[in-house]
Amino acid sequence: MKPIRTDFRGYEGQYVAMDARTGKIVIADEDPKVVLRKAKGRNHVVVRGRVPYPDEPVPVGLG
Amino acid sequence: MSHAGETTTVLDGLVDTGADAILASGLLAEELGIDLDDHEGETSHGVGGKYHKAQYKTVSLRLHAGDAEISEYRQWEAQVGFVQGWHSYSFVLLGSVGFLDRFTVTASRFAQAVAVEERETFDDRFGVVEAA
Repeated sequence: MKPIRTDFRGYEGQYVAMDARTGKIVIADEDPKVVLRKAKGRNHVVVRGRVPYPDEPVPVGLG
Repeated sequence: MSHAGETTTVLDGLVDTGADAILASGLLAEELGIDLDDHEGETSHGVGGKYHKAQYKTVSLRLHAGDAEISEYRQWEAQVGFVQGWHSYSFVLLGSVGFLDRFTVTASRFAQAVAVEERETFDDRFGVVEAA
């Protein structure tokens, strides 16, 4: 299976939605409500979370 | 997610084998028109090194394959704990009750994909595990 590798550079600090078939980011905004609203009802568009900044601490697991 | 005729956007779910429950951002409760004051129970969970209060409500969950049309999905009902102000890394966290107890889930970092299959697939593959 060929992995989908999304390039998140340039979207740091923003919430993003991507095309599930290509991995390409198609919606980005600092307000998560904007991304949820713009993505709603769009075929193959999946809302991801927020893209962290490179120097942002990332938790190991969420629990 | 779906509830009373309302649906959310299609979202990535973070599979968490260490989580007991399905948790979701309170923003999704807003999208579904759910009044969380009318919840079915609430509890505190540790997520991302912080404690969050989750308010539970039974909703329909929809699972879409990565390349499927938006109208193609598998749907089931489960209690989801909605957490206000929580949407930092993912909008939905898929834990044991309501997700991992419904399906056989196989993750591959190499393929960067997660396969979700029928619950009985595990027994077909490995045999029935007897309790000690």
